[in-house]
Amino acid sequence: MAASIHGIAVRLSGLRKAYDGQQVLAGIDLDVPAGALVAIVGQSGQGKSVLLRQVIGLESPDAGSIEVGGIALDRWRALRSEDKPFRIAMVFQNAALLASLTVAENVGLRLAEHGHLSRTALRAEVRRLLAAVDLAGVEDKLPGELSGGMRKRVGIARALASDPELILYDEPTADLDPLLTEQIGLLIARIRCERGATQIIVTHNLALAQLIADRIAVLDAGRIVEYCTPEALRTSTNPLVQDFLRAAALGS
Amino acid sequence: MSTVLEVLQRLGEAVLLFGRAVAAIRLRARDRQRIAAQLARVGSDTLPIAALLALFIGMVLVVQSADQLRDISQSVLGPIVGLAMTKEIGPVMMGFLLAGRVGSAMAAELGAMAVYDELAALRTMDIDPVRFLVMPRLVAATVTMPVLVLYADFVGIAGGALVVAIDPAIDLAVSEYFARLLEWVHLGDILVGLLKGAVFGMVASIVPCAFGLATRGGAEGIASSTTAAVVWSFVLILLFDLVIVRMTFGLT
Repeated sequence: MAASIHGIAVRLSGLRKAYDGQQVLAGIDLDVPAGALVAIVGQSGQGKSVLLRQVIGLESPDAGSIEVGGIALDRWRALRSEDKPFRIAMVFQNAALLASLTVAENVGLRLAEHGHLSRTALRAEVRRLLAAVDLAGVEDKLPGELSGGMRKRVGIARALASDPELILYDEPTADLDPLLTEQIGLLIARIRCERGATQIIVTHNLALAQLIADRIAVLDAGRIVEYCTPEALRTSTNPLVQDFLRAAALGS
Repeated sequence: MSTVLEVLQRLGEAVLLFGRAVAAIRLRARDRQRIAAQLARVGSDTLPIAALLALFIGMVLVVQSADQLRDISQSVLGPIVGLAMTKEIGPVMMGFLLAGRVGSAMAAELGAMAVYDELAALRTMDIDPVRFLVMPRLVAATVTMPVLVLYADFVGIAGGALVVAIDPAIDLAVSEYFARLLEWVHLGDILVGLLKGAVFGMVASIVPCAFGLATRGGAEGIASSTTAAVVWSFVLILLFDLVIVRMTFGLT
């Protein structure tokens, strides 16, 4: 578990991305240590989700480089699934479960496509993964029959199915009430303790970030303006960070 | 102008997508299951309405032709219905039916998957959306269409025979209708119709898939992709119809 990545799990250097001439990422430099839980916070529209999509290769940067586990992302992506030295999983903001598949089929999709498990073993593995996110008895339901919080958990279970060394979360608590937000936050913290995987969370929920993250990166206008521990963030003298802390306090 | 370029780009993408989907054809158990599911879906979505359409078209053809031929000879009603159904109306009508009923659903489904990040989720699981989604639809539509055309031919010819049998305005025995039809309709005519069916099946599946995969912009994007997919499927079906007719000119 998480044995294939040591040192720096993710290294972003000079990452830039623009859409229709509008700069969204304006030179991101960030090192995420292996095994760390890093939260990227910032107000809406600052490029947090775009950054995450670059890290997993769903979009390509206009400039800059991305290394994951010491390997250039492009090289890692070009490898066949079975040849990849480690796996990266992503939990999408809306969970992005395949609407036409049941919960069990969603969670077991990657295993069914790339694994060699028997039907019985696959079913058992799906049950184990759902139990890991505190869900049981929903295997045969369709995503549309689940609540928002349950869908997020199924999304996390699906991400865990690949036994990933790096997990990316895009706004994992968006649209959830405070209780569910806390439950998802604690689940992410537990995954880190149990599996040791490196995790990057994009969120605008500063309270959640301060609760579970080892380090917090504050994104503003496409740049990282602060990258430090939650404790150090509270005492940051950066005016942008102070504004963000004040706004977050008002919001909460 | 930009719309024209956009459509041309999309049609170019459809050609590339066709190549990728053909290259992705595998007959592993899971691929066979997905193809079988699409076959069942295409069949159940089209067979009842295909029967209704073909029946009425066969009947109308007989009535309309009988009216035109009342001062000449109604003995050619069988060949008229037989040749029209097998070579032209059967394939084109079934192509339009497939595009309108199944192709529109394909474009809307894949469009929704694109908009709601389900395609992105597949990619993060190292699952190729072309092999997972497009290939089974292409194979199912291509295999089903010749069968559907043959079915429409029989039902249309039977519809014509029904009118010949019961309409007192038509002075022709049913046995004469079939005898002249068999005299004029040759195996080559039927094979041309089946070839058209297979080609129209490819068009009516790959074009909607290309428009669906390229969908952006929420519900409005899904709606415009679906409409464009159906319209351009119709146009291309007619274009390929002309090409096939010209290529087989004098052969049958």
